[in-house]
Amino acid sequence: MSTRTSPATGPEEQRIEVSGLTKRYAEVTAVEGLSFSVEPGVVTGFLGPNGAGKTTTMRMILGLVAPTEGTATIGGRRYAELRRPSETVGAVLDASAFHPNQSARGHLRIYAAMGGYPDSRVEELLEQLELREAAHRRTREFSTGMRQRLSLATALLGDPRVLLLDEPSNGLDPDGIAWLRRFLRSFADEGRTVLVSSHVLSEVQQIVDDVVVIRRGRLVAAGPLAELERSTRPAVLVRSPDAERLTAALRAGAHGAAVSVEAARDGWLRVRGVDSSQLADEAAAAGVRVHELVTENASLEELFFQLTSDDPPRPQGPQEAAGPEPAGTGPAAAQSGQPGRAERSEQSEQSEQPAQTEGSLR
Amino acid sequence: MNHVIKAEFRRLTATRMWLWALVAAVGFGGGLVGLLTAVGPENFDPPMPALESQEGVRSLLGVLGFTVFVPAALGTLAVTSEYRHRTATFTFLFTPRRWQVLAGKLVTFTAGGMVYGLVLTGTAALGLFGAAAARGATVGMDTAEVLLLLLRLAVTMAVYTLLGVGLGALIRNQIVALAVVVGYLYMGELILLMIPGVNIVYPLLPGGATASLTSFTYIADALAEKMSTDAASLLSPVGGGLLLAGYALVAAVLAVLVPMRRDVN
Repeated sequence: MSTRTSPATGPEEQRIEVSGLTKRYAEVTAVEGLSFSVEPGVVTGFLGPNGAGKTTTMRMILGLVAPTEGTATIGGRRYAELRRPSETVGAVLDASAFHPNQSARGHLRIYAAMGGYPDSRVEELLEQLELREAAHRRTREFSTGMRQRLSLATALLGDPRVLLLDEPSNGLDPDGIAWLRRFLRSFADEGRTVLVSSHVLSEVQQIVDDVVVIRRGRLVAAGPLAELERSTRPAVLVRSPDAERLTAALRAGAHGAAVSVEAARDGWLRVRGVDSSQLADEAAAAGVRVHELVTENASLEELFFQLTSDDPPRPQGPQEAAGPEPAGTGPAAAQSGQPGRAERSEQSEQSEQPAQTEGSLR
Repeated sequence: MNHVIKAEFRRLTATRMWLWALVAAVGFGGGLVGLLTAVGPENFDPPMPALESQEGVRSLLGVLGFTVFVPAALGTLAVTSEYRHRTATFTFLFTPRRWQVLAGKLVTFTAGGMVYGLVLTGTAALGLFGAAAARGATVGMDTAEVLLLLLRLAVTMAVYTLLGVGLGALIRNQIVALAVVVGYLYMGELILLMIPGVNIVYPLLPGGATASLTSFTYIADALAEKMSTDAASLLSPVGGGLLLAGYALVAAVLAVLVPMRRDVN
């Protein structure tokens, strides 16, 4: 980081507290009764599908959007009441918020002057974010990655204690994402606060310690990611012409107490509490026919999808298409499945091969 | 507050817009006035009072009043470009007390508008006296009076910059704001002037106040003659100046107050 020493502040000075936050527009309620806190020293992921209210919430925390109800404070103060706002909080909300005809250095010098920081700080950040070579170029010529770094440089001018980033990995190449992860980790390890939003869990999964998950402007889950992970249970998808008998047999069987069965579509059942061999054995013992058996590896992504899906329980028989996509996930969404996970296979009936559609959150 | 003003001066000089503004000032000032002087107002169609008369000099320099759209547009851009390029987010993050941002812009762009006005009128003086000397014509107004008139025009430019900042803060959409500012200055008031009855308020409109401040009544008179209505009688130069300053004050207050509660999305 920088050579500047940060003001010594206690954790309570850096905690973000959101309480009963609500934002209503004429026809829609973007955020409703949202309460959570973001602790210093960890990286907190702010997750939810596009349109869930993440950006509006961040803008309310930063005093850019006025809440209809509720409060958002940083170290107990509303943003507008902070004594040295840019020394306390750095934020990147827009991927590209520069005048296209200004140079990177010109842009940074404006905000250095506004925050009262010396021009040497601008040079320091240009160096740190590897923008020195491009410093004299007009920002309209910048690539997405360079824009992201210039945005980050602007946010870091005041060497802030709290960092808020809205979808920072959008448009970053793998190197850029790796760099961002290391950067955020070291930032948090210094005892600072990091809130980073994303609609793609897998993008932030490796860097976040805590998560705040919202859907349609409301809180769905909050807490350490590890705890959330523990709450996921693998499931087995089974297709049987004797679904009712199978259900009864499983409930009466050796694992009956732990078993939960829910109906998927067209005779498929989703069974939790047993693995596929246990299920097959019990079916055989009960003389129930089983036509197909698929292990559905529980993933955090799955859980996230369930949490943020508009239509729980998730419709996801293997014959179905990718299931409801949260608003805004584009065609790019369905790319690059991760190998080794059988879930929501789009074409299994046709192709016999569980296809990958991580569709929901990509 | 000083930080904000320093930042706004840096913003003003961070692109080449200031350079184009100076080119416009020299072009409209030295260029236009020099050209009109070289041709001679008595040779215009319809002819205007000759350069040798006081009225002739006043009309000639008064033409500069038509170029107020340039500083007005610059002032408008000062605010609207922040919204257009989304830099308003960073700006209000660094300065959450938003009135300070607008106050900083008002200070910076009033100074910028004054510089524009002085370059405009300075080169206009060179154009006037230079072209008159080249033609061998005498300028029918005392040099001191010419300079005072030019100074009034320079102040007018600064005031219009301020008006532009105010309107830019009100109408954040860059295209709409520019269309309103330039459209009103170019056509809006002239159309009002043509409406019998409505032209009574003309002296109280920004254009009327500008006309009295710059003592340029040629257009108002000609229109009145053509429409065979009574010429709207303008305020005194001082009255016009005060009224224009009042408009600027309203614009400044609006510029400072309006963005306070608005959401920045």
